[in-house]
This record gives sequence, structure tokens and C-alpha cells, in this order.
Amino acid sequence: MQVVTSRSKKRFVHKQSILAYSLLLPSVAIIAMFMFWPFLYTIYLSFFDWNMISLTKNFVGLQNYIDVLKDPITYKVLLNTALYILILLVFNFTISYIFAFVLNFFVGKMDGFYKSAFFLPSFISLVVGSILFTWLLNPVSGPVAIVMGWIGLSMPIWSKSEGWIIVVITLITSWKIFGYNFILLYASINGISREIIEAARLDNVPLWKIFFHIIGPMSSATGIYVFIITIVQGLQFSFTPIKIIAQGGPNYASSNAIYHAYHEAFVLYRTGHSAALSILTMAIFVVLLIVEFKYVERGIYYENK
Amino acid sequence: MKLWSKFVLLFSVMLILGACGNGEESGDSIKEGKTKIEYWHVNAETQGGQTVAELVEEFNAQSDTVEVVAKYNPDLYKGLMQNLQAEVAAGSTPAIVQIGWAFLDYFSNNFSYVTPQEVINAHFEEDKTFLEDNFLPNIMDLAKNSEGSQVGIPYSLSTPVLYINRDLLSEAGLPTTGPTTWEQLKEYAKVILDKTGKYGFYMQEPADNWATQALLESNGAKIMTDGKASFASEKGIKAYSLLRDMVVEDKSALHIGWDQGIQSFIDGNVAMLYTTIAQRSNIQNNAQFDVAAIKSPTWEGKEVKLPAGGAMLTITAQEEQQQKAAWEFMRFLYSVESVAKWTKGTGYVPAREGVADAEKGLKPFLAENEMMKAAIDQMSGVVPWTSFPGDAGLQAEQLLLDVRDQILSGSVTVEEGLTSTENSINELLK
Amino acid sequence: MKISKKVTIPWHIIFIFIIFLLIFPIIFAIGTSFKTLQDAYNNPLSIFPTSPTLENYKVFFESLPAFKVTLNTFIIASVVTIFKVITSFLAAYAFVYFIFKGKNVLYFILISTIFLPFTVTMIPNYLVISKMGLGNSIWGVILPQLADAMGIFLLTQALRSISISLIEVARLDNMSHWHIMKDIVLPLVKPAVTSTGIWFFITSWNEYVWPVLILKSTENFTLPLALQMYISSEGGTNFTVAMAVSVITMILPLALYLIFQKYIIGTFISSGIK
Repeated sequence: MQVVTSRSKKRFVHKQSILAYSLLLPSVAIIAMFMFWPFLYTIYLSFFDWNMISLTKNFVGLQNYIDVLKDPITYKVLLNTALYILILLVFNFTISYIFAFVLNFFVGKMDGFYKSAFFLPSFISLVVGSILFTWLLNPVSGPVAIVMGWIGLSMPIWSKSEGWIIVVITLITSWKIFGYNFILLYASINGISREIIEAARLDNVPLWKIFFHIIGPMSSATGIYVFIITIVQGLQFSFTPIKIIAQGGPNYASSNAIYHAYHEAFVLYRTGHSAALSILTMAIFVVLLIVEFKYVERGIYYENK
Repeated sequence: MKLWSKFVLLFSVMLILGACGNGEESGDSIKEGKTKIEYWHVNAETQGGQTVAELVEEFNAQSDTVEVVAKYNPDLYKGLMQNLQAEVAAGSTPAIVQIGWAFLDYFSNNFSYVTPQEVINAHFEEDKTFLEDNFLPNIMDLAKNSEGSQVGIPYSLSTPVLYINRDLLSEAGLPTTGPTTWEQLKEYAKVILDKTGKYGFYMQEPADNWATQALLESNGAKIMTDGKASFASEKGIKAYSLLRDMVVEDKSALHIGWDQGIQSFIDGNVAMLYTTIAQRSNIQNNAQFDVAAIKSPTWEGKEVKLPAGGAMLTITAQEEQQQKAAWEFMRFLYSVESVAKWTKGTGYVPAREGVADAEKGLKPFLAENEMMKAAIDQMSGVVPWTSFPGDAGLQAEQLLLDVRDQILSGSVTVEEGLTSTENSINELLK
Repeated sequence: MKISKKVTIPWHIIFIFIIFLLIFPIIFAIGTSFKTLQDAYNNPLSIFPTSPTLENYKVFFESLPAFKVTLNTFIIASVVTIFKVITSFLAAYAFVYFIFKGKNVLYFILISTIFLPFTVTMIPNYLVISKMGLGNSIWGVILPQLADAMGIFLLTQALRSISISLIEVARLDNMSHWHIMKDIVLPLVKPAVTSTGIWFFITSWNEYVWPVLILKSTENFTLPLALQMYISSEGGTNFTVAMAVSVITMILPLALYLIFQKYIIGTFISSGIK
């Protein structure tokens, strides 16, 4: 087996475009209807001042975009978004990668139990998670605070502190998505030939080197997928605890780009402002995606290419 | 394939289970010729949801012409507003909706509704004086928007009361009757913290400014004067400073989310709780200490001014037939028996007259329920809940919320925070 | 491979600790669902109820058509899962084994939709669903959920890892695409398909923002919506009933998981790709 670093250009060609298009048709049709059209409509809305129900939409040109870019809250929210992404990646990409690696090679017994246990919280809805953790982590009355009190620690009033609120919400979100990411990575690493690792071990290659130079590259196809869903789904998933626990507060400290777009549209009914913010967020994501396509995909290892 | 056979098996088990569950409901098919109307409410199971279901069922059973379908909207009046917004955007409307007071102006500016009296005048000669006869003018005024038009009829009325943990008060050596003024309350809280190590006070912090308004306006400040924000007056700042000092300086008051604050009062970690009377049954049923509800504190030498909480019922039906049906249902909801049921189920104060002292109304209930008494006794001090007018009204409300978090976290002084917020709100309202 | 105890023991400790953190909330939720609300408020530290009660479950079954609600949730999640898995698989197959005009552009555009915040599509979709007369219908909940490119992305990744030569040989033998899909590709990527399907199921099962907007009458409710009935900031949250509903919400996916455990974790590790 050899590591292929550049994508093979040779592809088996089927000159049956019609068939290809018809295979794609169901997906494309439904996505066009419930994704593309709404998206275009939202772009259209971003040029208007409208509250969703008044009969007249006022055309305001680029004013909504200017407002969004001038609003200091936008930058606070974008910064929060970056913080969310960072913490989500630490828990659900980095740590789950390391765990998957360790569990694959260095824990003989009980790995079945660990896998199941890690995966368990994935079944639970974040509505449940949010209510449950609000109760469990009540800084005055919750069981966690009481136990901490025994050893003389006090819990910050996290639901009203900048910073802490994001940490707790990402923890709740991670509680749910950690297991799924872990299982994906575990399976991918499990597919790597043991002989390579054995050989490396015999040569006394340090663990971290094995991880970065063998495991990382060889599981990168799944790795990149997990990386992306951690960001995308993580942000969307964190919406539920943000809404239930903090409503974006205190003073926007828990709001991220998605929640803030919701807040503008469905709490303040500033549809145009919300649309402009969504489009800008989308633009930032697309830039990241292009970067991913251009640079990262190239280095990804697909078996038997 | 084995995998699929298992799936099919599971699916069929579910279908069978579902079929069992379905059996009972196929019975009540809707009779022909009944006008079907939707009633949108926010009453979760812990907030009168059961009572809504009972009332609707009772009404449907006795009416030959109208069939009511109740729709529950999560996330209180804000959530209902969101759903209504989407529904109207899609071109349809329910017949009756509960509108929270804070949305009074936003609703009346943006949605089409019909004043109940108009429907009555057009179709129900016999009810012509129903509203006049049964509602006090100051109560009806709660449902008037800033232009003075009667948007709906008050239905769920609540006021903030002070719940006290008498066990903690006596442990701290304080009178168990509780504080009567805000100044006293601050002292008490400090003593409680020093003597018992528990928090003295928590004031509810939901996503609205209801309790804040009670605190400020009772001190003589006005949230809004002549269509302009005016809360950053000397009196407003003084009132807000009391709360801020308790949280930031004394650390005798808790600054936390609403759910968690209530949890901490019920399990005995907070001695005094300032929140809505709608929490009565939750607190009464679950607190294991000697708990009481007393009237909202006053400021020394001043009269209380308590914003009415809760909601009004508005008719949003567009067709005549639907509007007629809507009033028939509303008339039923405002009957003495229904209102009494509503109060028992929710803890709301009756909006209409003749319920509290009627035998078939609430008389027996109130005789046993000391806690409700506080809320009913202070009804004379009720004022409308300020809702900022115009398209930017909701944004203005949001700014006031934002500054609450800034002040209570100690990141700005009360004076700075309130003044700059007042300025930006007035900028918005222009 | 021989690994010294020195390395494994600390890891065991770390794993057990993490698992405790992950599982404790679930156990706490189950325990609380059998408590009275008073008990829950006043004995926050005990996981097990002082006097167990089924009252919370009774409240749920009495205040809502509980079976119907569970069935609705199940139908929605099943339809969404089956449809998305099939269409995503077909699309992934087309993307990996065909060359056609606009392929890369189309792929890129489809995948970009993953990044679309759902707030962007909410109002326009609501308008469409209402115009179709599907407000207050479970089909109104299902349709927009079907539009999801995540499955295409994941399955394309999975299909790319299958040797092209395998397909080439099959084509040279004049095997039809249907048979290649069914007999060669599907068995090879079954683990990926199953795990994608399970994830779709769980996500749809727990979906709540969209159903809240669409469903109006209680007999059309889904479980996450039913949960909302017991949460109210104004009247107080009935924590114990909420936990009972939560436990019911957990049970079915958990049962599915136990039935398919072999497929989810077992087989997609030892598939025949190697």
C-alpha cells in the first residue's frame, strides 16, 4: 500500500450524462426547492427594510449591509463565533481524534464498552440537554455546585458571565456531538493497517510522531469531514442551548452568527438586517470552504486511488 | 437482509402501538356546519395548559356553532409573536390570540385586528354592555395602545409579589412578616447574608423589563413620558442603584437566569424572591419551608406602581363568520365560572369584576389561598406595562435588557448605563 | 501490539472519568423522572428518588396523546432518514463514477448549502409549506428536512475510497449500474451508509425549531415539542415531567442503537475495503 498524496487524474469515464443527471435529480430538486430558492429570496430581502408582515418592503440598497458592518454587536458576535468554533474543535475534533487513536491501539480491554459509552449522549436532544444542564449546573443549587462547595470551590455564575457562558454552552453541545465524531474517527483509524504502526513502534518512533505522520494523513478523508461537521453542525447545534439557556445574553455574550441572525429576524423582526448578516456569515464560510477545496483536499488520502 | 427485517419489525410494532393510541380520538369527528376557529395561547402545562384544554373542551361540547382548536406556543409571548408573524406572512391568521402587554404597540401597528366591541356591536345586540359592565375602566385601559385604541380585552393579569422564606428570615433574626419597603428589603438581604450565608434576594431576570419597571416606577420614575424614554431620571437611577448595589456591592442578591433563580429560592438558598404571582403554584407545591407571598415592596413614602403582566385576548379573525365565532368563545372565557377556573389553574388575577367575591367564583378558593391575596390586594396599584411605540419598539426594549446585564455585572455605572441607553432609545424612536 | 501498563492505566482512568461525565447527566435524568418535583427541588444530590413515583409519566400520558406523539416523531424521522440516505447515495454515486458537464460546480454548490444557516431558509420555507397546504401536517415538517447535502458529502467521501478498478472491471463485464450499486458498492460502504442513516435519524428525531413553527394541534406534535409543554419561564418548569418526557424521547433511538449496534460500531470497522 502506498500513500498517494496527489489526486489521481485518471477516472473511469461513463459517457452517460443523462443517467448521471437523473441520479442527481431527486437531491437537486429538493435542495433547490428548500435551500436555493429560500437562499435567493433571502439575498433579495437583504436589500429591503421589512418586518416580514407589513405589506410594503422598502428598498434600501446596501444600507442593511452598511448597518451590519457598522454595528459593534456584529463584531462581538463574530468573535464569539470564532470562539465557539475554536472550543468545539478542541473538544470534538482534537480530543476525539486523540481518543480514537489511543483507544484503537493502546487500550486492549474494554474498548467495546468505551465506544458505546462515548456514543450514548449522541441520542439525546439538545432541548433535553439544555434543561438538564441548567439544573445540574445551577451555580447555587445544582448538585455540581454543592459537590464543589465541599472542597471549598465556588462556581462562577456562568449564565451571566461573559466567556463562561460560551464555555458551558459548547460543553453541552460537545456532550452531544463528541461521541458521533469519535466513532467516525475511530472507524477510520481502525481501517489503517496495523503493520505500519507495529513497524513504527519497533523502530521506536515516538507516539506523537506516529499520530501526526501516519495516523493523521491516513485518516484525513474522515478527518476533514469531522472537521467540517464540527464547525457547521456544532454552530447550528449550539443554537438550541443558546436559545433555551441564555437567549443570546448576557449582553450578546453567548450569541453566535446563527443565533444573532435568528434574533434579528424573529425577536426584533428586522428581516433585512438579519438577511444581510446571514449572507455575510455565509460568505465567510464559503471562503473557508474554497480554501479547504483548494489546499486541504489535495493532501487528503483516499484509499486505492 | 437482516438489518432491514429488524427495521420493518420495529416499524410495524410502532404502527400497532400508534393504532392503539389512535383509537379513542377517531370518535370526536367534527360536526358538519361548525365554524372552526384557532385560539393561540402560551400556556404550558405548568402555566394553565390543562385549564385551557378543559375550557376549550367544555366550550366545544356546549356550542353547536363553533369548534375551537387551541394551539400552544412555546417561549411565551415572544414565541407566540414569532409564530403569528410567520403565519401572517404565509397569508392566514388564527381567530383569537393572546398578546403579551410588551407587544401591545408592535402588534397593533403591524397586524390587522378587530376591536371586540365592534364585533359585539355588529352581531351581538345582547352583549352591548358586557365589557362596560364587567371590567373596570383602568383594567380596560391596559389593552389600549399609545393611540388610545382598544386593541383587545385583558385576560391573564399578573402582578409581581415578594415571596419570602420565613424560616430563613427568623434564622437571621428578622421579622417573618417580611420587608414592606425596598429600603428595608436591602437591609434584610444584607442581614440574611451575614447571618445565614444564604442569598438575601433574587429579582426575576427574564427577557423583559417587567420587574424593572415595577422597581423604577414605584419610586416615581417613568419608563416613558410623552413617547420618549425617560427612565434615566434621578429617581430611576436611584431605584436601579438599589438593585445594583445589592448585586455588585453587598453581594446579597443573586444575578442569574430566571429558572435557576426560582430553583434556588425553592430549595432554600435565597430568602426573598421577587417574581410573578403566576409562579404561585410552583412555589407553593414545592417549597419545603414556611413560605409566604406578600405585597410588592414600596419605596418609603411612595405608592407602588406595578405593571400588569400577562396578556390580552385579541380578535385577529378576518372573516365575519370567524369574528362572530371568536366573540362567542371569548364571552365564554370571560364568564365568572371560566375566569374562576382560569385563576385557579394559573394564579392570574381575575381581569373582570365579580369573580373574587362570588360563591360560584373564587370566594372559597381565596379563603384558603393566602398567597393569591397579596396579588389581588395590590391591584389598585396596577399601571400599563410600557411598550415602546413604533417599528423600533422591540429594539428599544432589547436595549433596556442589554443594559440590565451591563449594570448588574458591574461593567457600567447605573448612571452611565441608563443615560446612554435612554439616549439611544430616543434616537431609535425618532 | 504490546503496550506497557504504564501507558494504559492512566488512559483507562481518563476514559472512565470522561465516561462518568458523559453518562452522569443521563442517569440523573432517569432518576429524576421517577421523583416528585418537590423531591427533585429539595434533594438535588440524590440520584435515586426517595419514594419512586410514576406520576410524571402518567402526567405525560394523560395530558397528551402520547402514543400518537411518539408515532409522529417516528414516522417523520424514518421517512426523512430513508429518503435522505437513498437520494444521497444516488447522488454520491453519480458524483464519484460519472463525468458530466458542470460536475465540480454542482458538487461545490450542493456542498455549500451545508453552510447555510437555517435562519436563512426559515421564512421562505414556511411560505412554501403554507402555500402547499401543509401547515399543521407532519409532511410540512418532513419536506424541508429532506433538503440536506450532508449525506451527499459523507457518502461521496465514502465512495471515493472504493477502488475505481473494481467498478471498471464490473463495467467491462457489462454489469448494469443498478447491479454495481447494489452488489458491489453498497456492501462496501454499508458502514458509512448505516452510520449516516443513524445520524439522520437521531437529528430528525430531536429536531425542534421547525416543528414548533409548523405543528399546531397536539395530536400532530412530536416529542421535542411535547417537552416544551412542561417548560415555561412564567409558570415554572415542571422539571420532573420534562425529564420523564426526555427519557421517553431517549428510549427509541437507544433501542435502535442496541439493535443496530453491530452495524454502527462493529461492521464499519471491519469492512471489506482492506
